[in-house]
Amino acid sequence: MSTPPVAVVGVGQTHHKSRRLDVSFGGLVREAVFRALDDAQMSLDDIDAVVLGKAPDLFEGVMKPELYLSDALGAVGKPMFRVHTAGSVGGTTAIVAASHVQAGKHRTVLAVAFEKQSEGNAQFALGSGKGASLGAGGAFAPFIRAYIQRSGAPEHIGWKVAVKDRLNALKNPYAHLKIEDISIEKVKASPMMWEPTRFLESCPSSDGACAVVITDEAGAKAAAADGRPPAWILASSSRSEPSSFPGRDPVRPAAALQCAADVYTGAGITDPRRQIDTAELYVPFSWLEPIWLEAFGLAEVGEGWKLVDDGTTELGGSLPVNASGGVLSSNPIGASGLLRFAEAANQVRGAAGEHQVDGAKVAIGMAYGANNQYFSTWAVGSSLQPFG
Amino acid sequence: MTRFIESTITFPYKRSLGPVVGAFMTALTEKQILGIRCQDAVLVPPMEWDPATGAELPHEFVEVGPAGTVESWTWVGTPSIQHPLDHSFAFAFIRLDGATTPLLHAVDAGTPQAMSEGMRVAPRWRGSREGRIDDIICFVRGEAAETEGEDTGGATDPVTRMDYLASITYRNPVPEAADRATEASREHRLLGLRCPTCGRVYAGGRGLCPVDAIELGPECEVDLPHTGTITNFAIVTPVQYPGQTETEPFVRAFVLLDGTDVIIPYSVVIELPADQVKVGLRVDAVWASPAEETEEGGGMGGSWGSLLGWIPNGEPDIDDPDLVNRIF
Repeated sequence: MSTPPVAVVGVGQTHHKSRRLDVSFGGLVREAVFRALDDAQMSLDDIDAVVLGKAPDLFEGVMKPELYLSDALGAVGKPMFRVHTAGSVGGTTAIVAASHVQAGKHRTVLAVAFEKQSEGNAQFALGSGKGASLGAGGAFAPFIRAYIQRSGAPEHIGWKVAVKDRLNALKNPYAHLKIEDISIEKVKASPMMWEPTRFLESCPSSDGACAVVITDEAGAKAAAADGRPPAWILASSSRSEPSSFPGRDPVRPAAALQCAADVYTGAGITDPRRQIDTAELYVPFSWLEPIWLEAFGLAEVGEGWKLVDDGTTELGGSLPVNASGGVLSSNPIGASGLLRFAEAANQVRGAAGEHQVDGAKVAIGMAYGANNQYFSTWAVGSSLQPFG
Repeated sequence: MTRFIESTITFPYKRSLGPVVGAFMTALTEKQILGIRCQDAVLVPPMEWDPATGAELPHEFVEVGPAGTVESWTWVGTPSIQHPLDHSFAFAFIRLDGATTPLLHAVDAGTPQAMSEGMRVAPRWRGSREGRIDDIICFVRGEAAETEGEDTGGATDPVTRMDYLASITYRNPVPEAADRATEASREHRLLGLRCPTCGRVYAGGRGLCPVDAIELGPECEVDLPHTGTITNFAIVTPVQYPGQTETEPFVRAFVLLDGTDVIIPYSVVIELPADQVKVGLRVDAVWASPAEETEEGGGMGGSWGSLLGWIPNGEPDIDDPDLVNRIF
């Protein structure tokens, strides 16, 4: 089944920070929205529908913020959708927006995602409002322990990912964490939080938002003719699986493998390691990088950590991962997935600035959520036929 | 008959108000009510953007009121703890003098018969004001604003944030399977449910197989062993948040029951310090004595009932490299 070509023609994000006490929810999302509209050389009038994603309402204690934000987003009289897929929500938001354009229902759709973590507490919300919350770090620690044991990866791999992503963040003006003196020693010396994950191997809590403008083939071609390269969406997929059942493997979840297979089949990718120039993977704790490299077919099983160890995934390596600094450097939860998708789009548009991967023609953006359960991924290209 | 459990979640959220609502709240501490000019209209409360077009509005504030006219109202006969007044009152749309749009607020009118459209009302201010909408306690009949209690004056600094203590009470039905598991726990039995389709066994009162999407009824019940092996674990450094109950690093372990494929996830461990938990450790179930029973059950919570957790039983560790992968 072929779908009509659609593309990203505008990307915007806020400067991500611990606390944006100077803005309301609306003020925060509008910063990202107007940057995306400016990038697309559009106004709110050009938007036919809005799709909004964020983490569950318990994070900020505002029920149905999509309704509260509809006028801030210029969505009065337009269709407004809310997406809920836990931590993968930002990615799914982009996919839902793209689907509306692909279906021919709307010509141009705005995907927006945000989190304002300073208004609540993520550990509280992840623990369903009770004491003794495991938090995401506690939930993922057993998965990481299983990965380390079965792959035989040395302990410095986690530290290396933590350093790499923070060095990349220094090149991204929007990144939250700017740790100028980041080093293996510094990561190693940081407090143990959820063994084997240390403090500096963990994502920050951020306030931030991201917005992406997705339009149809004619709109994308017009942008290209105007010297503003679009990012063509080659394929996308959302997959999920139940939280627990005997035999479930959270290191190689079936939903992740199927999500990757869907996207690669749809995009005509047969050799992901060579055909993908750069990847934005959802890595909130350092060890998730090798785990997802393997689950998403960018490394052989048990070999993901070697791509970290030999520098392949560094900016300048042959497969840069999270050139933007990733979730380890900025984590406005609901927006974190959309940021992965948006950064992948900017890479193939040649619009990533100082953290641009030279000559990137094909990129993937990936997000995941809950207990390694929800997966969203898209592949974007600088052209519709990037493999000739 | 279905049993229900009530649970309440509360959290002190902190709202960032932004420049426009912040100005409105700051003015409330001065006993002033601000609107914002939006083309020919004056919006009250003020908004940051034109609600019709989304266009940014210049910060052109207009003082309105203090008196206004009731445009519409509804009577709240039995207020809840979250309502602005502790006795019956009206919620009303009040168009303050000089405003184009109505403000929603409480009117303390005594009886619904005293309320009418077109009725003139004025604010009753709180003496001590913090920059919240309830700095106006309510509106009362008449043209003149009044102040209750000693007036402590306006805020010294601009108001930029607002505390919002959210509280929500849920009434959740307890599935029959969960009740049966809890009952069995009272007899110190660990109940499992075997899926007739795939043969997987689920513990903890989970009355369904998520793989085959079928309900598992009493005919699927099996008794599970009380001895197992820790396959994996999390040592959690507790981050402090309102409602956090932990102060020291704590363990949640995954226990594989002997001779089965069943994992008891996120298990509480007993008499096992965090630095001594390890993969392969042999453990026994620990059950509450009747004296330790609580409404919420033992240390494991929920339908685990009287199961308090797991304690090392002194048997030699299991050395199996695949054990660590048994998390679910």
